[in-house]
Amino acid sequence: MLKYLAKRILYVLPVAFGVSLFCFLLVHIAPGDPLTSVLPPDASQAMQDELRKIYGFDRPLPVQFGLWLMKALQGDLGTSIATGRPVAAEVWRAVGNTLLIAGLATVIGFLFGCLFGFVAGYFRGSFLDKFASMLAVLGVSVPHYWLGMVLVIVFSVQLGWLPPGGAGPGGSAAWIWNWEHVSYMILPAITMSVIPMGIIARTVRALVADILNQEFVPALRAKGLMDFGVFKHVVKNAAPTALAVMGLQLGYLLGGSILIETVFSWPGTGFLLGNAIFQRDLPLLQGTILVLAMFFVGLNVLVDILQGLLDPRVRRR
Amino acid sequence: MTAITESSGPVIVPPLAKSPGYWAGVWRRFKTDKVAVGAGLVVLAIILMAIFADYVAPADPTRSSMLRRLRPIGTPGYPLGADELGRDMLSRLIHGARLSLFMGVVPVFIAFFIGSVIGVAAGFFGGKFNTITMRTVDVFYAFPSVLLAIALSGALGAGITNSLLSLTIVFIPPIARIAESVTTQVRGMDYVEAARASGANALTIIRVHVLGNVLGPIFVYATSLISVSMILASGLSFLGLGTKPPTPEWGLMLNTLRTAIYVQPWVAALPGAAIFITSISFNLLSDGLRSAMDVKG
Amino acid sequence: MALETHPDRGGPGTPLLQAKTLTKHFPLGGGAVVRAVDGVDFAVMKGETLGVVGESGCGKSTTARVVMQLLPQDKGEMLFDGEIVGGQALTLKEYRRQAQMVFQDSYASLNPRLTIEDSIAFGPTVHGVSKANAILKARDLLQRVGLDPARFAARYPHELSGGQRQRVNIARALALGPRLVILDEAVSALDKSVEAQVLNLLADLREEFGLTYIFISHDLNVVRFISDRVMVMYLGEVVEIGPVEELYGDPRHPYTRALLSAMPSMDPDNRTMEAPLAGDPPNPINPPEGCRFHPRCPHAQTVCAKVKPILATVGDGTRQAACHMQVPGSGHSHAPALEVAA
Repeated sequence: MLKYLAKRILYVLPVAFGVSLFCFLLVHIAPGDPLTSVLPPDASQAMQDELRKIYGFDRPLPVQFGLWLMKALQGDLGTSIATGRPVAAEVWRAVGNTLLIAGLATVIGFLFGCLFGFVAGYFRGSFLDKFASMLAVLGVSVPHYWLGMVLVIVFSVQLGWLPPGGAGPGGSAAWIWNWEHVSYMILPAITMSVIPMGIIARTVRALVADILNQEFVPALRAKGLMDFGVFKHVVKNAAPTALAVMGLQLGYLLGGSILIETVFSWPGTGFLLGNAIFQRDLPLLQGTILVLAMFFVGLNVLVDILQGLLDPRVRRR
Repeated sequence: MTAITESSGPVIVPPLAKSPGYWAGVWRRFKTDKVAVGAGLVVLAIILMAIFADYVAPADPTRSSMLRRLRPIGTPGYPLGADELGRDMLSRLIHGARLSLFMGVVPVFIAFFIGSVIGVAAGFFGGKFNTITMRTVDVFYAFPSVLLAIALSGALGAGITNSLLSLTIVFIPPIARIAESVTTQVRGMDYVEAARASGANALTIIRVHVLGNVLGPIFVYATSLISVSMILASGLSFLGLGTKPPTPEWGLMLNTLRTAIYVQPWVAALPGAAIFITSISFNLLSDGLRSAMDVKG
Repeated sequence: MALETHPDRGGPGTPLLQAKTLTKHFPLGGGAVVRAVDGVDFAVMKGETLGVVGESGCGKSTTARVVMQLLPQDKGEMLFDGEIVGGQALTLKEYRRQAQMVFQDSYASLNPRLTIEDSIAFGPTVHGVSKANAILKARDLLQRVGLDPARFAARYPHELSGGQRQRVNIARALALGPRLVILDEAVSALDKSVEAQVLNLLADLREEFGLTYIFISHDLNVVRFISDRVMVMYLGEVVEIGPVEELYGDPRHPYTRALLSAMPSMDPDNRTMEAPLAGDPPNPINPPEGCRFHPRCPHAQTVCAKVKPILATVGDGTRQAACHMQVPGSGHSHAPALEVAA
């Protein structure tokens, strides 16, 4: 097990390095001098030179990368151009909000995905199966930002049941765990849950169908074992994979939440990214993406390791 | 060494009745799949609509009218209503299909070529080349596709070309990965060994024996990415990273109509519905192809 | 036809193929090495069929792939009609026109997307024959392997039975006009009746085209039927080699004896009284020291665990065996007495 752990971690290091290199280069693939993005439009030549030195843009690229990486490792992601505040602080605040909504969405998606997938796999070929499979296709085909809009139209504009967007009556700073605040989370979380729901439903359907196809299951049924016994068996065998898929989906949602957060003005990383793009705040863009990608990489490793713990067969790959 | 001689004069090979080949079988299976055929017809209709938009659309999609802003669905002369600048929604949706389809298909198409070359080469030659290529691909895999598209587009700046470029880069890694894994499987088959044993060089073996067996599965996978590409492209436009107004494009239309949800909610939702219908048709078509071609996964 | 036949260069005295200390190891993770083929020496004479037998995992198939140069050897070399394979006089591509292989899995060895005739015609086109000529050649070969070209040439592999596909594979191997054909378990996956037909076909083709076969199989009856000489392999090494009737009638290596005793025989008088194979199954990752067979050998003595027996000439000189019991003065109590020099 220790060997497997070490192998996984060794494998992820070059990936993490590549990810940081990519994020570093983002600023440099941007058209024009990277400096223009941090300069006030009326900057003098002297000021330009000085800023160039401060940001280290006068050094060779590999040196710049090294310096940037060292700082990033110490938690310094630079300064936002738009707000002048440290990027790291902005990102961490937003990550909390995104985790909240993405976590809730994953739980909703997991529960309903498992339900649909299980029903579809258990009654394979039936009307219920077709219905659930159709739902799964819908889930992966729907533009989720549009779904968010439709939900707002129905539940906020037409019915007036839920708030159309924002982080709560007092903004995100005044978050309290009560209905008034939680109601702001419901629509974005439901919208977001559609993405993992379809994929989890597909996975669970395939798993359940697979397990039920194994020879011993009809034998169990023939022996007169209650359907509940079969159910327990299926859950025990399908759970590790389903949970792994769920973990990966949480990672996707962290990065994929940007459009939904924009629709609902939810003050998470997606919203932050939207602002960074709108204001061409490249350090903020870079920092946010680095943190999100690292979260995703870390989550992947975590899922792998947990899977290795649960299922020794995985370790031998 | 021994020489190779050709008999002189043209050689006549008597033609034989060919067995129905693999593709005939695929078509036969596909035809019986009602859902897939239906989805295929919808896709075809949307493509034709986009090509002949100038003839199909009842009005000029860019002609605005301050007097007829945000009309509801069913307004005379505006069957699907009018947008925030009084432009005919139906005409805009028809013309918008052009760019939306383009952004769905073209990045996947380019990525299909580049990704296949990378993946097939990595899979066939294996060894260090494979390790280096696939590790690089892994780095891009470490980003959720939406995040990668937004990161690239955000850094490159708004515009169709930049969106196209970012989406292409987003789809190369997954296609390369699939191509690599199918090619690795095929490479181990005895018929590839037999081809090597007959003295053929790598390129000939790839052309005759590998491509025919790997392009199908890669293609099926790529078609399933078209709907993702459409949704991502519209999403980029929705964030203001795609095309610029007044060009009709479904994602951008959805963006500019966002504020209208309190006035004409269903008109505002129309562009998204168009994306949804197209995307689901592509997905169902892709699923149908997958089972007709008997591709696993 | 389009490809000229190859002249006999070395004359009948030169073996068609000579393998010298062929070695192929596969490194596993963590320093372990699979010694799939470990210093194998043998020769195949022109026009003969050399049978290769042994349990699965003994290195038969790896030997075939190294001989076919689908896997590069780690050590050793091969001479084909007296010339070094892959050398200046005989390039790898030229060698591959003269040596061909038929694989066990008839389905996996045919490209599912090509028609039968296209599969057979592929090899010649690689060597510069025009497509039309190659197709004609393919149809001619189909006829010769007993498949009516009008019925089969334009079909796809999945439309054929296993026996028919294996005939196609044989035709494909013959398309380049080879002198040596390696048959790696080529009939093992076929039904018994089909197997007999294909074996007869192989025997006929050998006559017709003057072929030399290396016939690899785990089926000792089949090997006896088709081979002139037989080579027995154990854990990547040759333990015994000799003419088929002498080897089957009087096996000199205990492993050969054990193999033959496990073989179902039609004739009850022919059954040997040797004990069947006992002990651990062979593991090519960590082969035992000394004689690799000694942990399973009923006659093993101290010397067997310490000294590796060499493949030595025994009997009338046509046979070789790697066993201490065959070598005078080896230190084994059953070894023949040393002849005292006069």
